[in-house]
Amino acid sequence: MSKVAQKKPVPAKMTPPRSGNSPAKRALRRIEPYIWIAPSVILMAVFILIPILSVFQMSLSDVSKAGKIKGFNGLGNFIKVVKGSAFGLVLQNTLVWTIAVVVLSTVLGFVLALILNNKFRGRKVARAIVVFPWATTLVIQASVWNFIINTDYGTLNTLLMKLGIIKQAVNWTPTPEAYFAWEIACGIFVTIPFVTFCVLSGLQSIDTTYYEAATVDGANYWQKLFKITLPLVKSSLTVSTVLNIIYVFNSFPIIWTMTKGDPANHTDTLVTYLYKLAFYNGRQGEAAAVSVIGFLILLVCASVYMIYTLRKGDDN
Amino acid sequence: MNDNAAKKPFSIQKTVLRILLYFVVIDVCIITLYPYFAMFCTALKSRAEIFSPHGTILPVTALWSNFIDIWSRAPMANYLLNSILIAGGSTIIAMLCGIPAAYALARMRFKGQTAFLGFVIVSQMFAPVVLLIGIYQVMLRLGLTDSLLGLIFINAAFNQAFTIWLLRGTFMGISAEMEQAATIDGCNRLQSMTRVLLPVAAPGIVTTLIFIFINAWNEYTVALCLISTDTNKPLTVGINIFNGYNMIEWQYLFAASIFAIIPVVILFMCIEKNLVSGLASGGVKG
Amino acid sequence: MKKTLALLLALVMTLALVACGGNDDKPADNSNTQTDANTPAPSTPDPAPEAPAGEKIDISVIASQYGQNTNKWWADFQEAFNKEHENINLTVEVVSWNDIYTVVNTRISGNTAPDILNIDVFADYQADGLLLPAKDYVSEETYAKMYPAFLEQSNIDGTIWAIPDLASARAMYYNKDILDAAGVEVPTTWDELKAACEKLKAYDSSIYPWGIDMTTDEGQAAFAYYIWNNGGDFTDADGNWTLNSDANVEAIEYAIDLVNSGLTNSDPANETRYTLQDLFGAGKLAMMIGPNSIPTYIAEGGSTINYAFAPIPTNGGNPSVSAGVMDRFMCFDNGHSPEKLEAIKTFFDYFYEDARYSDWVLMEGFLPATSAGGEIVAKADESMAPWVDIVGSCKFYPTAKAEWADVKQGVINVEQQALLGGSVRELLDALQSDIAG
Repeated sequence: MSKVAQKKPVPAKMTPPRSGNSPAKRALRRIEPYIWIAPSVILMAVFILIPILSVFQMSLSDVSKAGKIKGFNGLGNFIKVVKGSAFGLVLQNTLVWTIAVVVLSTVLGFVLALILNNKFRGRKVARAIVVFPWATTLVIQASVWNFIINTDYGTLNTLLMKLGIIKQAVNWTPTPEAYFAWEIACGIFVTIPFVTFCVLSGLQSIDTTYYEAATVDGANYWQKLFKITLPLVKSSLTVSTVLNIIYVFNSFPIIWTMTKGDPANHTDTLVTYLYKLAFYNGRQGEAAAVSVIGFLILLVCASVYMIYTLRKGDDN
Repeated sequence: MNDNAAKKPFSIQKTVLRILLYFVVIDVCIITLYPYFAMFCTALKSRAEIFSPHGTILPVTALWSNFIDIWSRAPMANYLLNSILIAGGSTIIAMLCGIPAAYALARMRFKGQTAFLGFVIVSQMFAPVVLLIGIYQVMLRLGLTDSLLGLIFINAAFNQAFTIWLLRGTFMGISAEMEQAATIDGCNRLQSMTRVLLPVAAPGIVTTLIFIFINAWNEYTVALCLISTDTNKPLTVGINIFNGYNMIEWQYLFAASIFAIIPVVILFMCIEKNLVSGLASGGVKG
Repeated sequence: MKKTLALLLALVMTLALVACGGNDDKPADNSNTQTDANTPAPSTPDPAPEAPAGEKIDISVIASQYGQNTNKWWADFQEAFNKEHENINLTVEVVSWNDIYTVVNTRISGNTAPDILNIDVFADYQADGLLLPAKDYVSEETYAKMYPAFLEQSNIDGTIWAIPDLASARAMYYNKDILDAAGVEVPTTWDELKAACEKLKAYDSSIYPWGIDMTTDEGQAAFAYYIWNNGGDFTDADGNWTLNSDANVEAIEYAIDLVNSGLTNSDPANETRYTLQDLFGAGKLAMMIGPNSIPTYIAEGGSTINYAFAPIPTNGGNPSVSAGVMDRFMCFDNGHSPEKLEAIKTFFDYFYEDARYSDWVLMEGFLPATSAGGEIVAKADESMAPWVDIVGSCKFYPTAKAEWADVKQGVINVEQQALLGGSVRELLDALQSDIAG
């Protein structure tokens, strides 16, 4: 990407391609793509790459509690983090959280997109309603859920009691696992709209003649779904899934608002754990090490997933 | 006769499916709306009623004044305007940088293409929470702390991956023939892109726009650390004023949150029309 | 289609332009931004507002948001102060407690620490040599106003590094009506407390007898209430950590037993003090330990319960100990000129002027940290008088010790592990060896 630096002035108007065979034109053709991606590269380099580099630097440094870098620490931070008693539990939680939220919301979001792609009365309203959870800040969304499921003043208990379904207030979160399940449910709730709209936008670009031809050939609904719909929305589904894995893995507000990882790290994921390390315990070096570990896990998972799906795409 | 007999069960099946469809759609809507219903009702209650031992669903007396009080208790108008500026500005910058990049990836072949796509994905792999300190240092160098412009750049950068990947897919799904024809007619690449490709790709572009807008609208963590002046805060950060040291004012928090949702829903409903019309025109090929 | 899209783009573009226009400090140029992130950033102070900065001395303050009125109070303060001191330009930034550690640490890492910070902790900043000794930035007469015991809380190696801005103390609150109806006397010892809880539970099982908060929010407070009232402490007289002393183990086992016997709120690991206060105000919780600000809170919430407060129950013959929480002002060593230090002294003199200071304390129902302030507050508000006495004699967290942040998180973790069935003794042993090495 070093070529970005050697920008050349873009000619005001390109001559028709037939005359573009002189060496100067050829050189321009070689450089042209880099000019097109330059703004994007600069934007990401300045505002994302530099901060990422400083995280790597911190993870290898001895950082004081107030956040001053005191010197090089090798892999000391990593060793300390991995040896920590809660780390295994937190890692396990992170995997459960990511897999549960991504898989369930992808399946449910996909089904919902199929449903909303039908023509029916009130479709516009339904589509607008589905976008609600996504249009709400996660902090607020999580506060509302916390408020709803509260044992003592939660509206879920009130509602069920008024409906006569339960007689006494139910404690919806008797164990840490139950709390974690609610957090996952909340995560799924806010992720579904994202998947649904990725798939919907894919569905809308499918040419209806494919289906007409298939109907003539006598294909049933499921055959059409698996032979036409799925392959054609696969590219938008792949993108949404990869990004979802990343977003959900790194999701912070839901868990932070609902439990802060309590009790005793039982609902912590890597991100909430490292946030506490950095800003509550004042161990920013270790926190940076946790984020590098999380990054490596994501890198491996996302690469494997993408290589797998892209290769399958090439076979077709 | 045979024909009719075969048709009849088919239409019953169709009716059942229709009913099932409505059943599912209505259920989904109810579940989705329930938190907002709870939020709205709570926003109308007094604090005493929220925690009263005899829980109520609808407020006993609706305190519409809660919706008015928040405007005097916090600079809500500033928050709202800031949120709109940040989300709008982020969208425009993300698109201005993302469309050319996606175009290059879809229409040109160059060395480092795969590496660039990989870099785009990798750039997303750190949560903003993790990068806070680094981001703050960069902003300090640029003199962009406590400024909306800084937040606009950050949001645009964090949405590049999504923009590029989605638009690249959209562009690749559109045949290049028309653009080539335009080039022969004397258009340069920029012209052929803006005049030929972008109008055809409109539905995909609109989808991307919504995604970026909503993501920027909802961003919380970075805004929290970068913005220090109260009147520069976006809604997401600003309404924290109701979440103080001694108490959480649920009724105000929720009333303010409802104001935060409305603009996004309105925007979405406007654009939804375009999604449908894009489909109806049938200009896009799979 | 094209038209609508163009319109949309135009709209967004206008918005972006407005956004840019609203900023005085535009980015220089993207080309010179690819500087190395590893070199320390130059310590450029926050861009000053348009005022002719040539003559004026800038003072930046980060203050904690104590409640709904804090922002307004500081805004008024800033305006009045700047009007009276023409050569000083004071800017106060109020940050909520949820976020203040994140904000402050981010600033310190970016080498833009505020001149003055109002927060609860200070030892970490002192350990990095970021702070100035209190004597350098507080005038003699203002310094003399503070309770000596409070100043001692900020003593590291014989130097006072921070000054108290306010305090709060804790006591046991009880709902008179519920206790009367159940025929329960106000408990003073742990045995009486447990018996009272059992009686309350038998009287009405829908009311929680006792409130406990062991969350990440403030779990260390619960730890302090029980160990201090069992004769235990975080450290011994020499300042060595004694987290796993017998008295501490017994105290936490007692608290956990209350939870396991079903005598408390249902989920102490996730229900914060705010939730407890709300339950208490709604008459669903009979007794809880809380700060002196609870009456303000209950009155503002429109609750009508009949309640009073009493000393925290203790075990056996131990004297009842109230837990004090004290927040501080500290001054960062940003290489101030002598003129600037004088300006900072002026700031503190102005802040601690008796009338203004007692107004500050009363604003959110806190307790004063100066003796003159104490007298005024006690006179102004009779209900505060007993609290002014309590705060003079309560214990504080060992916040001057460098390990405090780890201890605080550690004891919360111990409590939560114990709630899940862990052995208090083993957990505290492990924490002790972790902290003391």
